[in-house]
Amino acid sequence: MIKAYINGTGCISPQNSIDSDWFFESINPAKGDYFDAIEPSYKEFIAPNLLRRMGRAIKMGVAAGNIAIQQADAKKVDAIITGTGLGCFEDSERFLLAILNNDEQFLTPTSFIQSTHNTVGSQIALIMKCHDYNFTYVHRGFSFESTLQDAMMLFEEGKETVLVGGVEEHTPNFVLLNRRAKKFQEASSTPIWKSTSEGIQMSEGTAFFVLNKTKTEKSLASVDGIQTVYNPKTSADILNKLHAFLKLHNLTLVDIDVTLMGFSDDVNFDEKLKEVLPSIEKESVAACYKHICGEYHTATAFAMWTAVKLIEKQKLPRVLAISDKTPSKIKHVLIINQYLGINYSFTLLSQC
Amino acid sequence: MDALIEKLKGQIIEQLNLAEVKPEEINPDSPLFGDGLGLDSIDALELIVLLEKHYGIKIQDPKDGKTIFQSLRTMAEYIKSQGKS
Repeated sequence: MIKAYINGTGCISPQNSIDSDWFFESINPAKGDYFDAIEPSYKEFIAPNLLRRMGRAIKMGVAAGNIAIQQADAKKVDAIITGTGLGCFEDSERFLLAILNNDEQFLTPTSFIQSTHNTVGSQIALIMKCHDYNFTYVHRGFSFESTLQDAMMLFEEGKETVLVGGVEEHTPNFVLLNRRAKKFQEASSTPIWKSTSEGIQMSEGTAFFVLNKTKTEKSLASVDGIQTVYNPKTSADILNKLHAFLKLHNLTLVDIDVTLMGFSDDVNFDEKLKEVLPSIEKESVAACYKHICGEYHTATAFAMWTAVKLIEKQKLPRVLAISDKTPSKIKHVLIINQYLGINYSFTLLSQC
Repeated sequence: MDALIEKLKGQIIEQLNLAEVKPEEINPDSPLFGDGLGLDSIDALELIVLLEKHYGIKIQDPKDGKTIFQSLRTMAEYIKSQGKS
């Protein structure tokens, strides 16, 4: 079975993940019912004449992609694959507001050009002068997972190095409208996996990864497998599919040192994961991540960045742990993400 | 004319999102495209919309754009010539 070796990562999130030395110290809390990404000074990564036209999603994606490529010391990549649920939302909103405010007159091209979902991947390609395969997946809660699946298929076809990433941005209007629709709730002291109330903490961010078909001295971890599960009816469905997924890789839950679980703080969406949790805790060490990165379509990308860090440091920070159990080693990390209780996915990472 | 040039500087900075550029750094006689302010073809479209939105001027023949958008001063002169300043 084909593996994808992670040779470089770049992550912009509500935490200080832009700093390569950061390891879950000094956690930034939610701003009530949402998180904002901590953005770097983009001048370090993007030329000023390009920067002035870019929305935040593009800037975040280009910067994170750049960091990943630098870390991997990749001279070129054979493909750029981006996943996003909402795309360049800020520019879409700007263009639509201009239509409304100017009575459909005086429409300027910049925000329209920049509003398309594939702008992030295309800007990275233009900067890298990468004229190869470039694809953007807009598959709601499977957007990032689709990039991994595509990368695996490209490796089967003979590609050697692929840049994949997930990116999401929100805007003040987006937060306002969702708040009115009661989609959010303020973060509370109740642990995220025990929530009994409705609402998430909406968030944004990006994580990019340089994946290699073959292991090199730069390899930090490997992605051994990825599987999506659409709208499972029961928690038993999830567990059955999870056991089958692990079996494909000659593993069982006992072999999984840490399981990162995508609890979102919304009792409705987390219901099945709560039922799965005892089985995970019995045989593995359960942890969570959305209490520090918030919820968004491509949160799995943050979870994968987290998994790489855990493998690299061989340590599970207390802030992520669900129980007092600590792993004796971290060889295999499993991510079980869910988005809106509909899109479930399993991502298996291993030490290499 | 000078007041119009100053006004145009502010409008161009805002329309083209030239956050790094200060009005006093723009030489009214320097080329807007290429070496001067370094604008490109997308900016040309933005400038056409700027003229229409703020001054009610529609450029009928795109070929005229090359002369009109040569510099800030030529833009201001064109606006004046249209009696729209």
